[in-house]
Amino acid sequence: MYWIDVCNQILIFATLAMSLNLLLGYAGQVSVAHAAFAAIGGYASGYLALKSGVSVPLAFAIGILGAGLLGIVVSLPALLLSGEYMILLTLSVQTIVLIVITSIGALGGLYGLTGLPTVSFFGKELLRPEDWLVPLIIVNVVILGLLTWIGESPFGRILRGIRDDQLATQSLGKDVWVKKIIVFGLTSAIAGLGGALLAYYNGVTAPGLFEFNQSILIVTMVVVGGRGNLVGSILGAAVVIGAGPFFEKVINLSPETSALWRLIAFGVLLIVVLMLRPQGLLPEGLSIQALIRKLRSRSAVEEPVVAPAPVPASTPGNGTAPAGDGGEPILKVSDVRKSFGGIHAVNGLSFELPRGRVTGLIGPNGAGKTTVFNLLTGAITLDEGTVELRGEDITGWPIDRVARHGMVRSFQDVRIFPSLTVLDNVRMAVQQQRGESLRDLFLMPWSVVRDQRRTIRRAREKLGFVGLADKENQLAGSLPFGEQKLLALARILAADAEIFLLDEPASGIDAEWVDQMVEIIRRLADSGMTVCIVEHNLHVVERVADNVYFMDGGQIVAEGTMEDLVKAENLVEAYFGQP
Amino acid sequence: MSSQIFAAILGIDSFRELAQAMVTGIITGAAYGLLGAGLALILGVTGRFHFAVGSTYMVTAYLAAVATGIWGLPLIPAVIVGLAVATVFALAIEGVVYNPLAKRAGDGGLLPVFVASLGIVIITENLVRVVWGNNTRNLEGFPSHTYNLGNVTFTLLDLTLVIVTLVLLGGLSLLLARTVLGEQIRAVRGNPLMAQAVGVSVRRIFYLVFAIGTLVVGVAAIFSAMKFAVIPSMGNEPIFYAFVVAFVAGSHRPPIVVGLVGIAIGLAESVSTIWVSDNISALVVFGLLFAILAARSVPQGIRQLSGALSKANRRTLERSAQTRA
Repeated sequence: MYWIDVCNQILIFATLAMSLNLLLGYAGQVSVAHAAFAAIGGYASGYLALKSGVSVPLAFAIGILGAGLLGIVVSLPALLLSGEYMILLTLSVQTIVLIVITSIGALGGLYGLTGLPTVSFFGKELLRPEDWLVPLIIVNVVILGLLTWIGESPFGRILRGIRDDQLATQSLGKDVWVKKIIVFGLTSAIAGLGGALLAYYNGVTAPGLFEFNQSILIVTMVVVGGRGNLVGSILGAAVVIGAGPFFEKVINLSPETSALWRLIAFGVLLIVVLMLRPQGLLPEGLSIQALIRKLRSRSAVEEPVVAPAPVPASTPGNGTAPAGDGGEPILKVSDVRKSFGGIHAVNGLSFELPRGRVTGLIGPNGAGKTTVFNLLTGAITLDEGTVELRGEDITGWPIDRVARHGMVRSFQDVRIFPSLTVLDNVRMAVQQQRGESLRDLFLMPWSVVRDQRRTIRRAREKLGFVGLADKENQLAGSLPFGEQKLLALARILAADAEIFLLDEPASGIDAEWVDQMVEIIRRLADSGMTVCIVEHNLHVVERVADNVYFMDGGQIVAEGTMEDLVKAENLVEAYFGQP
Repeated sequence: MSSQIFAAILGIDSFRELAQAMVTGIITGAAYGLLGAGLALILGVTGRFHFAVGSTYMVTAYLAAVATGIWGLPLIPAVIVGLAVATVFALAIEGVVYNPLAKRAGDGGLLPVFVASLGIVIITENLVRVVWGNNTRNLEGFPSHTYNLGNVTFTLLDLTLVIVTLVLLGGLSLLLARTVLGEQIRAVRGNPLMAQAVGVSVRRIFYLVFAIGTLVVGVAAIFSAMKFAVIPSMGNEPIFYAFVVAFVAGSHRPPIVVGLVGIAIGLAESVSTIWVSDNISALVVFGLLFAILAARSVPQGIRQLSGALSKANRRTLERSAQTRA
């Protein structure tokens, strides 16, 4: 009886913790207002059923909807805020909601609404804790299934991309803004359900059930259980809620202080768990499936290792190489200007990228080369000038739209998704995936599953192309830097693009990787793709580039083959300084 | 006469009420400023989500009260005992919990540190209850004197708090801006790796910053203890204000600026009680906070979103779908 009550509470908080985990663990959006969203669900459903005579299921539905709507409203100012400011914003939401609720007389003020009607579940009235157990287990299984389906889908992968590196996610052609709003709304709605359950289980909607401390406890459940691991959240709820009753059985000192010692033990438990397992009890990616895979790969290591032969010239890109020999301009940049404050970073820049060729962009430090990439892809907006892609004006397009239109970039500092596997890094880049929207996930689940096979196949093909096929299950962050660069390249190769802007692909990596990189870039151009490369290593530029632009002071000052440019003495001086 | 009309238009009984509210606001705001400045320094330099700032706050006040009440020390030595114990406590938290945890979690460990510091808050509060009981304590010995200036009243203690706040935060700002030590602290705040590379001991600076921040917060605790009372849960509410002030001001601002932001928030909260009831004056603070954050990000957010939802963007999506089909 007593333990069933504890179990029920654990289950109710597990729904809250799992939903917060999708927001915090997957999408990386820290919220300390989860209890406030639960309050909306609890109070709305309680008030409607008690005072307006709405049936309990309808009251639940409205409560869930209301919490979801508030989540969407809160997500708007949260869109552009980083971690610490998100905490502050949600803290203010939490406080405002609670103050408003307690100051409305009709909601019972500081005492809340008491005497909520009984809930029935398939005709059975839920009167005692035993009656609640099975319905709550069912609710948890449904929510676990729902959130797992979302979290492990292409949609969830984009959420994790946002968490690891939002700009990199966008630069692969993924919209992040709408997804952030959806995940906020969805997780708040589930919090609304949790709040309604909490209220009806207790028979009251008291402010104390939904105060800031409760939000903090839910965050604690997620962190202790493991961010990005939904089953971990159930375990986290069990630890946090179950600790009190557990210590009650274990710690029985004098009656006055035993309650205090129990709280102290709970605090110590939190710290010890985190010291031992900073990623939580069940870290992200830890599942039975992953364990089996790990065991398998361990046994595979004992077999004689065959050197992985690089996959021979399979066609990179999207395989629809344009007809003709190429050479006609595919990207046209005209008189582009950008200043930061008073500094003209790019000052009247004009150049073209011919189709199927490798174009080098070189120049001294501070010439504005990376800024050019940022301007072309829409990472920063330009002040003046136009950018035309296949004759279409793409000036001012957002970064993800440019990527979907066929122009992708790599980053000097790689910007891979460190906590995703190598395979998932590349899968993220595949365009037009089924399951990147909730509509796909719920209206055509089978085609989502089928499409996953396509993205895996495609990602493996690209990994093979750069020679990382045997590393697909490793976490990207654990790769050495040279391999991270290759991975970043494989990632944009999978993005169905025609134009590849490569920012320092060979810098900071060992010579063996450099050769591989050069070969890959050449093969890319040979298959009809267009490449523009910014690179410090002039030997690399010389080996890959058909044509080279020399940039200085935000302008193109010379153009020609690498040989031509090396002969021009003034340029060499500009590059290397006075001899 | 006309002043009464103005007052009536503003919905206040008299300007005396407004003046009193402003004086009260400056006094409470000065305390918020100390809390915010201490935490901002810790947050800005070390990046630790030091929720347990409330614990060091409480420990300062509690130890000082115990030192006078139980051990019979005079006020000044008792205050020194409180501040010293709290500082040692803070250094222990950083050394034993935060630093190892952040190292193991990688990436600064924002959330693990946050939850661990929550554990510290729970432990400290209840341990104090176990050791010294749940009673309310007082910190006495400060001369009580009340000033009446044109019907506006405040005490010598209030005046001292405001002066101490301005002097302490002003001095700290100078220390950060003008001394070699301050330069080192700012270097670590800007880029710890670079600071390490030029020979600054980042570990030493972290401990130093924890000590300074804890002392600044501790001063606020001492004044609160002398003005009100000392209870084991007294640190819980100041945590809010510390975080709000630190974030609104920005954790890289000079302490005196953070202090003035604290005073502004205290003023807003206090003056608002003229129009709204006491219990929802916090609504004003957090409403303001929400508005500031929203104003910062909503316009750009809407632009991004309308770009994402625009018809032109949809068309690109559809077209690329067709070409691939």
